[in-house]
Amino acid sequence: MKANFSPWLLHIRDGLKTLIELLGRDYPYVSALATDSVGLGLSISQHSKAVRNATMTTERGVVFRVWKDGLYSEYALNEFDPAAAEATCGQIKAALDAQLALLRETGTTIYDTPVLDDEPLTLFVEKETEQLPETADIKALVEKLTALSDRGMSLDPRTIECFTSAQSTHISKLFLTKNRDLSQSYVYSEGMVGVVVMEDGKNQMDYASVSGLCGPELFDGLAAKLDKAAAGAAELLSAERIEPGEYEIITSPEVTGLIAHEAFGHGVEMDMFVKNRALGKDYIGKRVGSELCSMHEGALCAENVTSYAFDDEGVLAGDVTEIDKGILKTGICDALSALRLGVKPTGNGKRQNYAHKVYTRMTNTMFDSGDSSLEEMIAATKRGFLLEGMESGMEDPKHWGIQCIIKKGREIVDGKLTGRVVAPIILTGYVPDLLGGICMRSRDREVFGSGGCGKGHKEWVKVADGGPYLKTKARLG
Amino acid sequence: MLEQVLEILKNAGVYAWEVTEMRTEGWEFYFIRHALDQNRAKRIYSLGIKVYQKIGEDKIGSAGAELPPTASSEEAKKLVANLAYQATLAPNKLYTLRKPSEAHAAHRDRVCVDVPAIAGDFLRTLKALPETETEDLNSYEIFASSATRRYLNSEGVDVTETYPESMAEVIVNARNGNHEIELYRMYESGSCDAAGLERDVKKAMAYGRDRLLAKPTPALGKADLILSGEDAIEVYAYFADRLDPAMICRRMSDWAIGKPIAEDVKGDRVTLTAKRELPNSSLNRAFDNEGSPIRDTVMLRDNVPEHFLGGRMFSCYMGLEDSFQPGNYAVAGGKQSEAELRKGKYLEAVEFSGFEVDSMTGDIFGEIRLAYWHDGETVTPVTGGSVSGNLRELLGELYLSAETVQYDNWSIPAVTKLNGVTVAGIE
Repeated sequence: MKANFSPWLLHIRDGLKTLIELLGRDYPYVSALATDSVGLGLSISQHSKAVRNATMTTERGVVFRVWKDGLYSEYALNEFDPAAAEATCGQIKAALDAQLALLRETGTTIYDTPVLDDEPLTLFVEKETEQLPETADIKALVEKLTALSDRGMSLDPRTIECFTSAQSTHISKLFLTKNRDLSQSYVYSEGMVGVVVMEDGKNQMDYASVSGLCGPELFDGLAAKLDKAAAGAAELLSAERIEPGEYEIITSPEVTGLIAHEAFGHGVEMDMFVKNRALGKDYIGKRVGSELCSMHEGALCAENVTSYAFDDEGVLAGDVTEIDKGILKTGICDALSALRLGVKPTGNGKRQNYAHKVYTRMTNTMFDSGDSSLEEMIAATKRGFLLEGMESGMEDPKHWGIQCIIKKGREIVDGKLTGRVVAPIILTGYVPDLLGGICMRSRDREVFGSGGCGKGHKEWVKVADGGPYLKTKARLG
Repeated sequence: MLEQVLEILKNAGVYAWEVTEMRTEGWEFYFIRHALDQNRAKRIYSLGIKVYQKIGEDKIGSAGAELPPTASSEEAKKLVANLAYQATLAPNKLYTLRKPSEAHAAHRDRVCVDVPAIAGDFLRTLKALPETETEDLNSYEIFASSATRRYLNSEGVDVTETYPESMAEVIVNARNGNHEIELYRMYESGSCDAAGLERDVKKAMAYGRDRLLAKPTPALGKADLILSGEDAIEVYAYFADRLDPAMICRRMSDWAIGKPIAEDVKGDRVTLTAKRELPNSSLNRAFDNEGSPIRDTVMLRDNVPEHFLGGRMFSCYMGLEDSFQPGNYAVAGGKQSEAELRKGKYLEAVEFSGFEVDSMTGDIFGEIRLAYWHDGETVTPVTGGSVSGNLRELLGELYLSAETVQYDNWSIPAVTKLNGVTVAGIE
């Protein structure tokens, strides 16, 4: 079935067009992004059950962007009445004028930016889904998750809790200017099962997740993830500490994705180029990884939680080759940064929601696959670790430092897994060293979209990342 | 809209309900160097509704949603009806909502927030920060807003609070020829703390200068670690998290009232207090999100849990009627001065990629962006490598300076020392 476009957005469309015309009398460029995204969130564990008709990305509101005298300004609201466009126009102008008065009073200078082009473009996209979150059988889903949590408790006597969570969001967005009229709707979902175990007063937890560009039907896949999470948590109870040092490593697709995201995800967000905050700016066309290192980024390069048709600035989605055989080709770019850098936007302008500013943000960030098998990669490892499970990551685009917190490592000695597990692991290092060491990559690849991504320590958006197993070297602690 | 929803809820035949109405007005300014990249304003209204249904004699279920302000009366009725049904699907052990108390009756919302004035203070302060030829501001973002929150429930609680919420994100650059590094800072507060901003940005610039000269971190094995910045909050958040009834009920924390949290303690014992107010904190509130009055309460005294504090559901399960979700915390200073703690050999880490303490396991991680290795004679700025360990195992030798310092909603010892942390170097 089609993920139907929001009736509310259809209802306010003409009112928005009127308001754009009214604002256009004072501002040479005006755009409106209106959103109406509904969702379902379920959290079921042994100790707590909750139903929410909301997720991280549910919202309903409008943001207007205007340009005048080299300055972009925005006004966000969520009480838009299509019959009162004139009053809203006055409200917006009064607020922005008051800000300009303060800026004049404080002697603030403007970062002069050209006006965005407004080439005519019309698009109406309703993507396919099997189910919609707003009409899902919540009773059946709660029963399914409850049974999953109960089964999780039965797998190991040391288990003290089994969490499950399931979120599904039906996104609808409308982007309008004088000449553009873009509409899109799609559904994405994500779920997680986590198992907490306790022994001798010590707790450990492991989890597994599912995500996809689909509806609540995705949650059927959680059952197959439970055993992995339960076994993972139990393993952590007897895990040893790692001896800090540099090791050969094989990254599982989840860890590969984390590295992609932290290394040349944040590192090539081109709004950082405008501010001279990313070393990548000086490395376009230069080697940053081995011949076996290729990476793509874009809403079109995988079907997952952020595979939209157009971004929050009305730029069509793309698929960018960021790194080709080790050479950094380009970054990703929002529309205003593209104007300032003299390049084309890549469809990566995203907002946390209508009330937040646009930044250059990631969508699907993926390492390309190769032609090895995991078994061959293990056999080629003299002494190292197979790294599994991600906790968190942090990057330093200015210095290309990287920090990844990883759940566990499986020891490999002389080409064989020894059965020894170490945890937790902090992987640190210099990105070109890490990518330069890639010497094998597996044929398969996976995409993970159950997490969120911040810019600095705020502006949370959905992203997905992944790739194949990679063999390289890294410092582990 | 609110009155309409309350009427619908009262006639919906539901067991209980909560409504949270929020009005937010915000001004935002984004700068590249000192040139304005973009200005933004917002005016947002939200109405959160949570419906409860009793299930059998001893269970209760809930379902929540946000009603858009543009929703029609019919949409509101449909939403409440849906929530009333959905709440029957997720049974939890019975608990009750907050009842009105003297604190609710005595409360008056008198705060008036002048958003343009706060924004102006930030604009003037950041513009005037002292820069040098080699240390300056790369970019900054200013957020000033006024929020008015009204919380109502079916027990009769009805409280309104207006408060300022501010934030400044500042990127500091330091350079030596072509070599440039940056330091990230995010300052959250009620209104603009001009003196605090200037003090901290100057410190960041000094760290920037030192990072340019930093040598690779030596592989120290086990070393004593001093945290003298905001990262130390992560250490103390571990204690607050483990005193949350939600952690206790789920057995993710084995701490018990009256039972010391660690044995064989050679260092300082921690005293942690939930505070209703700290100067200019962004989280100064009289009531939490569930209408529970917030008051100064000692949670942990000398390493012995005194009060578990947290959300309503798990607090009820533990019979903690006076519990609440704290916003501000204060950690008491220790026995020794900062100068005394700085004797001998230690690694003072001041900049991490991200410093984390896992509240459930106690695991500590952090990649070092800048630290100072004090070898007893000389002090060497170092960078790279990481610190790791387990706080549960390190509690015996945790030392706190007598002097304290405030970072938004946390007042903590100026220096926190953890002995025996693993330092993976890159030398």
